[in-house]
Amino acid sequence: MIATAMSRRTFLKVTTVAGTGLAVGCVFDNEPTLTMSAGEGGQLGLWVRISPDNRITLVVPASEMGQGAHTGQAMLLAEQLEADWDTIEVVTAPVGSAYGNKKIMYQQVTGGSSSVTAWWDELSEVGAATRELLVEAAAQQWQVSDSQCTARAGRVYHEATARSLSYGQLAGAASRLSPPWRPKIKPREAYRLIGKPIPRLDIPAKVNGSAVFGIDVRRPGMRFAAVSQSPVFGGELTSYDERSALAIKGVESVVAVPNGIAVVADSTWHAHKGLEALGPKFAGGVTRGLDSAKVDAMLRAKLDEMGKAEIKGAETIDVEYQVPFLMHATLEPMNCTAHVTENSCDVWVPAQNQDRCESAAVDASGLSSDQVNIHTTLCGGGFGRRLESDFVTQAVTISRAVSKPVQVIWSREEDTRHGFYRPASMSRFQISVGTDGKPERWANQLACPSVAATFFPPVAWFDFDPTTYEGAKPIPYTVPDFDMEYTNVDFGVPIGSLRSVGALHNCFYVESAIDEAAHLARVDPFEYRRELLGEHPRHKKVLESVAKASNWGTALPEGHGRGIAIIECFDSVVAQVAEVSITGRGRLKIHRVDCVVDCGRVVNPDIVKSQMQGGIVFGLSIATREEITIKDGRVVQSNFDDYRIMKLKDSPIINVHVIQSDRESGGAGEPGVPCAAPALTNAIFAATGKRIRRLPIGKQQL
Amino acid sequence: MLTLTINGTTHQVDVESETPLLWALRDTLGLTGTKFGCGIGQCGACTVLIRRAPFRSCGITVGEAAGKKIQTIEGLSTDNTHPVQQAWIMEQVPQCGYCQSGQILAAVSLLRKNTNPTDKDIDRAMSNLCRCGTYPRIRKAIKRAAKLAEAEQ
Ligand code: FES
Ligand code: FES
Repeated sequence: MIATAMSRRTFLKVTTVAGTGLAVGCVFDNEPTLTMSAGEGGQLGLWVRISPDNRITLVVPASEMGQGAHTGQAMLLAEQLEADWDTIEVVTAPVGSAYGNKKIMYQQVTGGSSSVTAWWDELSEVGAATRELLVEAAAQQWQVSDSQCTARAGRVYHEATARSLSYGQLAGAASRLSPPWRPKIKPREAYRLIGKPIPRLDIPAKVNGSAVFGIDVRRPGMRFAAVSQSPVFGGELTSYDERSALAIKGVESVVAVPNGIAVVADSTWHAHKGLEALGPKFAGGVTRGLDSAKVDAMLRAKLDEMGKAEIKGAETIDVEYQVPFLMHATLEPMNCTAHVTENSCDVWVPAQNQDRCESAAVDASGLSSDQVNIHTTLCGGGFGRRLESDFVTQAVTISRAVSKPVQVIWSREEDTRHGFYRPASMSRFQISVGTDGKPERWANQLACPSVAATFFPPVAWFDFDPTTYEGAKPIPYTVPDFDMEYTNVDFGVPIGSLRSVGALHNCFYVESAIDEAAHLARVDPFEYRRELLGEHPRHKKVLESVAKASNWGTALPEGHGRGIAIIECFDSVVAQVAEVSITGRGRLKIHRVDCVVDCGRVVNPDIVKSQMQGGIVFGLSIATREEITIKDGRVVQSNFDDYRIMKLKDSPIINVHVIQSDRESGGAGEPGVPCAAPALTNAIFAATGKRIRRLPIGKQQL
Repeated sequence: MLTLTINGTTHQVDVESETPLLWALRDTLGLTGTKFGCGIGQCGACTVLIRRAPFRSCGITVGEAAGKKIQTIEGLSTDNTHPVQQAWIMEQVPQCGYCQSGQILAAVSLLRKNTNPTDKDIDRAMSNLCRCGTYPRIRKAIKRAAKLAEAEQ
């Protein structure tokens, strides 16, 4: 039986599973006037499945890539469902309109640190509606009223008669009821899960090797493929030695893919050996002739085009900052497994954007979207790289050509040289301070490839891209004469979103510039910021808290220095203080980082903490050593020996304080990253008087 | 045919002797807990224990490993009862989890040699990369595992 009901924002559908279980499906809509015909039932997404043996499967929209989104989303749903936490299993939803992220143009995307913020209400509503169905089923069975029954930890109780039934026992009966019109959301005072450091659901499988990532997918008869793409972006394949490749043991075929070529074999190792023997050659490409010097020159030319501001004042600053291209360096390289038949296409993929994967699979398979099934695996890191779908196109193309299930795994070299990079950029600040030391005029210009243009090209035509200038405009500091200008630059190098996106470069720029202004004004950098944050009490509180946590202002050993930085991004405010020292030989040591975050209502404080810790390590790694350079139109770096990321021995002590507040939730996955670099470089300045204006710090003299 | 002794079981594998152990484990034997991250010995995602010492399985061939006792993450315990696994859960270490098989085995090997490692010892022994930045928790978990192991004695 299928019953449907409509509340203001929710269509709920309830169906029986195998005669005895309960499955709750639902679609969300902001249009209160929409009605639903029977035919639309198929559009409803499945959210909850309860089987007679009390197992509860929650189907959630987010991909799990380490940020704890499965646990966070499950907590929201389970809180209202009153489920027993130990019986819950979580899977990422298949592609369906029910799972469109309202914060990202209704695309099925895990990004923008929005897994909690975008889904709070919807997950609560599904959980509450399912709970009410189970309560109603119990009440009917006992012939009492709903209001005499309570649901708790996976059971419904009738206290008066000391009777209870488990959700599994009630699932069958509940599946024959009509869903509630407007489920009652349990109030915050009654929360049992939300706000607590509940252990993550994904961790047990991640300590014994049983967790299934993209590269762990195994299908009957599956083959393995290795790919090589033009090292110059957009170049074309000119020649290859197919005979030598086929002569390698285990190699079965050679298949052309967009911008490159693949070798298919009976093992990953044989496929890579085959690719070596194939020796593909490429020519042409859009970045031909590009190198890092030219990138710098183009950025400077764009700044010059915008022109310098006229600046007067008691004292002035006129400085330029610069950051390089970066890669995501997810530890699991890009990969995808596909099985294309005449009328179906199954794709197993660690991905952040299921809609894009589906379109890529439709295009490459020649099938329709209802013949394509996207199965999302755990992701060995995402950080924005898995918002793309280039790997899906390859796997589907190859599987279609060989009519077998195929797994494509990129080598680390391929992964390094075919990223969607955090763009290189340059930013100029001209700031005047008055006789009271406060900034009077703030003229900032940013030259940077447009990140938003990668998913919505028109923004680049008008130099309107709040994603790329997030953190630079607006700024929280009071400045009477504020002016920020942005210009897009296109190098032909593929650009993408890297964890915290625009805030990543702009936080380094703005928080360095304000530090320079404080120095010019001869005011303590914390006091200077606090004074200028007068109109932003939330920022002020976070800044004061981090100063306190870090013992700001207390004496430090000789050669040590502290630096401070603050950012608002993804609706959260984060401030950090780094403490460093420089040895006589100029070696940098990062001793500790204190971090305070206000991300509004917190679902799981321990996950917020771990995201801050991880974000800080990520940010310090970027600041100290990461850099993609270009030569002859291609990426110079190839693997972790020349693209170094931070190791345990260089990572500092990190203390995180989470401020719980009543405001709407903000993000947690990304906001921990941006402050790390400026807190670090400001600390270096405090310790040595040396101002770092270009990242990475690398071998710069300290 | 070459003979590999993995987690106490012997396997006959039909691969060329120069095949990296990593790919024999993953593609031939289906032991996918051991991960691929770089292929050049840099990241440690492929770490296994050979005669109780940590090795990067992408850099050792099946020929070299044949006949020696190999332990992979699957051989630690499937029910998460090993003290290092316990500590990893208590400290909620993994984020994406991709590096963690290697991290855990590196920690197991460290703790076998040194039952009470200092921060310096941990710095020296733990060279595996973690892109998610779980280092602060790895450090805490190793110390906790040391205590758990001591209590078990
Ligand atoms: S895959 Fe072996 S060390 Fe990276
Ligand atoms: S947990 Fe993701 S790489 Fe370590």
